Amino acid sequence: MLIIDGSQGEGGGQILRTALALSAITGTTVKIENIRARRPKPGLQRQHLVAVQAAARVCNGQLEGDALNSREITLTPQSPVSGDWHFDIGSAGSTSLVLQTVLPILLHAPGPSTVHLAGGTHNSLAPPLEFLTDSFFPVLYCIGISVTAELQRHGFYPAGGGAMSASIQPWQARVPLDLMERGKSIGRHAQVLISHLPAHVASREAQAVKHALHWSHAEVDETEVKAAGPGNCLIAKLRFAQVAAVFTAFGELRKSAEKVAQECVSQVTGYLDHDAPVCEHLADQLLLPLALGAGGRFRTGKPSDHTITNATIIGLFLGDRIVLADNGDRTWTVTVRGGTA
Amino acid sequence: MTPASQATSHRSAAKRSTRRPLVAIGLLGPTLDAGRDEKRWNRWRPTVGLHMQDDLAISRFEMLHQRRFDRLADGIAADIAKVSPDTQVTSRHIEFTDPWDFEEVYGALWGFARKYAWNPEAEDYLVHITTGTHVAQICLFLLTESRHLPARLVQTQPGAKRGPEDLRSPEDASGRGSVAGTHAIIDLDLSKYDQLASRFAEERRAGVSVLTAGIPTRNPVFAALISRIEQVAAATRAPILLGGPTGAGKTVLARRIYELKKSRNLVEGPFVELNCATVRGDAAGSALFGHRKGAFTGATADRPGLLRRADDGVLFLDEIGELGHDEQAMLLRAIEDKVFLPVGADVPVLSDFQLIAGSNRDLREAVRAGRFREDLLARIDLWTFRLPGLAERREDIEPNLDFELERFAKDSGKRVTMNSEARADFLAFATAPAAAWQANFRDLGAAVTRMATLAVANQAGRIDAALVREETGRLHRQWHPPAPDDDGLAILGQRQLDRFDQVQLADVVRVCRRSRTLSEAGRILFAVSRQERKHANDADRLQKYLARFDLTWDQVVGDQP
Repeated sequence: MLIIDGSQGEGGGQILRTALALSAITGTTVKIENIRARRPKPGLQRQHLVAVQAAARVCNGQLEGDALNSREITLTPQSPVSGDWHFDIGSAGSTSLVLQTVLPILLHAPGPSTVHLAGGTHNSLAPPLEFLTDSFFPVLYCIGISVTAELQRHGFYPAGGGAMSASIQPWQARVPLDLMERGKSIGRHAQVLISHLPAHVASREAQAVKHALHWSHAEVDETEVKAAGPGNCLIAKLRFAQVAAVFTAFGELRKSAEKVAQECVSQVTGYLDHDAPVCEHLADQLLLPLALGAGGRFRTGKPSDHTITNATIIGLFLGDRIVLADNGDRTWTVTVRGGTA
Repeated sequence: MTPASQATSHRSAAKRSTRRPLVAIGLLGPTLDAGRDEKRWNRWRPTVGLHMQDDLAISRFEMLHQRRFDRLADGIAADIAKVSPDTQVTSRHIEFTDPWDFEEVYGALWGFARKYAWNPEAEDYLVHITTGTHVAQICLFLLTESRHLPARLVQTQPGAKRGPEDLRSPEDASGRGSVAGTHAIIDLDLSKYDQLASRFAEERRAGVSVLTAGIPTRNPVFAALISRIEQVAAATRAPILLGGPTGAGKTVLARRIYELKKSRNLVEGPFVELNCATVRGDAAGSALFGHRKGAFTGATADRPGLLRRADDGVLFLDEIGELGHDEQAMLLRAIEDKVFLPVGADVPVLSDFQLIAGSNRDLREAVRAGRFREDLLARIDLWTFRLPGLAERREDIEPNLDFELERFAKDSGKRVTMNSEARADFLAFATAPAAAWQANFRDLGAAVTRMATLAVANQAGRIDAALVREETGRLHRQWHPPAPDDDGLAILGQRQLDRFDQVQLADVVRVCRRSRTLSEAGRILFAVSRQERKHANDADRLQKYLARFDLTWDQVVGDQP
């Protein structure tokens, strides 16, 4: 059994998700202690609990300590189980986070799987589905992974009520990644999603984005979506020949439209400040598939706490196989040794 | 909850990690929970917000509401299903016409609590008190406090507390709290709170200290007794009966119980005391119950009586066994109905007092002998405490010696010390089994007063071994007077007995005169054979034995001083 200190590094849900996925895939029983120990409200919260329980279900594993506020859980996995999975998580969690947790596990299942998720699809807990489909999944495709996802209905915080599904094929051929350059710029686009809010919220956000980034009318859309409750989300996409970057910001009560726009814009300008292809969120997500696959390398901005924690947890299961090297030009090269390399 | 987990539950009480289902019970708030269009999601709604707490997973929600709010209830149930799909919402009708009418609301909630199928072994319960009128909140609080609702309280409030945590990680960096609000769980089991528990313990220690006048006790039996009296004194206004030998401190303790109650604002009126042995007949009646002017010869003015004076206070009746029959009947009515009739009056008077009764006699024996009303004994025999005599608390003699010396200094203004040899001598004498301490603390107090007075007069305030010798000699003679010539058989008068019988009867009479009751004498005399339980009634055997010589119990002990 592997024992992991859940308070290390960034000390949040990322440790749980990575550790549980690796436990399920490698068949190693894992015990995670001191979960969120340094937070004012330590232990598992509802959003973590739904991810933990989903991970256990798709590997037919046995959980101990999977209760609210629990600071210690143990997963005794069996093996990944393909099939039709349904998770209704309410608005306490994020469908993207649950999908990110079960995806690597189901890639190792014997057959194809479909995952249906209901609840919060667009909230500030995680990048929304657009990040997965437009940025993350294309890179996965490059290393041999076939996964698609679609949104049936938006679910904003707090009303939730969204729905999405993903279909996952077993991972057959593993291909190394080499993603060092962005390639030629193909296009850029920002979309304001709005539900049950005054129209001026969307137009002000759109206006602020155009003004700050000098984007044209054609590059910014306002879309009214049908959701159970009010909600607002701003998604900016930058497309290059080899990669796409997706940045999001969420409207919430007492946060002005201009503030929402500015949060999104500063992520875009941060990305445009250097020339590395992989943004911070994508870097987090890539480490695990690369380590489980044929490895590879990519260039990214300054690694975040999340990324470093993630690399540490992967090392505990698979041995040190991730090297982060500072290129001296505000970019880092991440080299991952694959499972067979 | 097992005892083991109770011991460690202080912290976990608020944040327990358990798989027991959590069931919340709450009133639907027709105002705070209202809202039908999508804008409702921009507002904090307590019932929905309760189900959006990050660290609270509610398995079932019992939503109490009136029939006329069915539509709102359905909408809330649907919204709860969105934010917390694992929660099962049960709608329960509860009817009252005026939600501000305490009696009606309490009755309705009490009815729910009575009928509800509680299963505290398997489920944990929360009562949500944020919704409903203030009257409803008070009712929910009272029902929870009285354990009709075996639950903890949960209170919710709007707005997020934004701490530094929110900025640490994207997972937390959100305005999620503003619509969900925050919650706080309140466990009314105050022993679960470390700080409060230690303050209560401190209050209890102070209470015990009041009861013992600050004299530490080394006697575990006495310590337990005082601790129990402290609890009872704080908890009840029912009568208290203090037994035990004369001089054991009944009067002092009664006064201290009163002072303890007074210090905790449990009593407003005065402390009123009467030794029933000091008044007889009409005098007793009018002393206790008062009289109207002209009620009897000498009643030249209205007299309110002690019961009236003790209104809202404490009435201590020492030697209650000495009270006459009529007074016993009136006292019983005064205790039960809080009214009594002053002598010569025809309008009853109200008085609400707590009775503390003292008796060094066995009141049960007095009931058997027809001297004390059985119903009155039953009424005052609810909290009965027997104070041990000083001989049963020999380890406490030393602290009480210091206390008496201190008291002498306070009363006389002259400090008296005792040299170590004198002290050792006195304690050796006082704690030896031979020291009878017949009058208990009265004996000890008198001994110290005598020694201290002589020390002040002769020896510059220092009690030495010679003074102690003198005093212990005096005490010894007091407790063991030289046997009189009378061998106890003088009561036979001119009658002659066989020498065989003389010896036996003389010993029986000696034992009788040392005993307080016929039963006690019987127990001593038949101590061996009664073990075999062949003869159930020692008193009866003794009575029959005395009858053989034409003697009664009263004759045998009657000529005692």
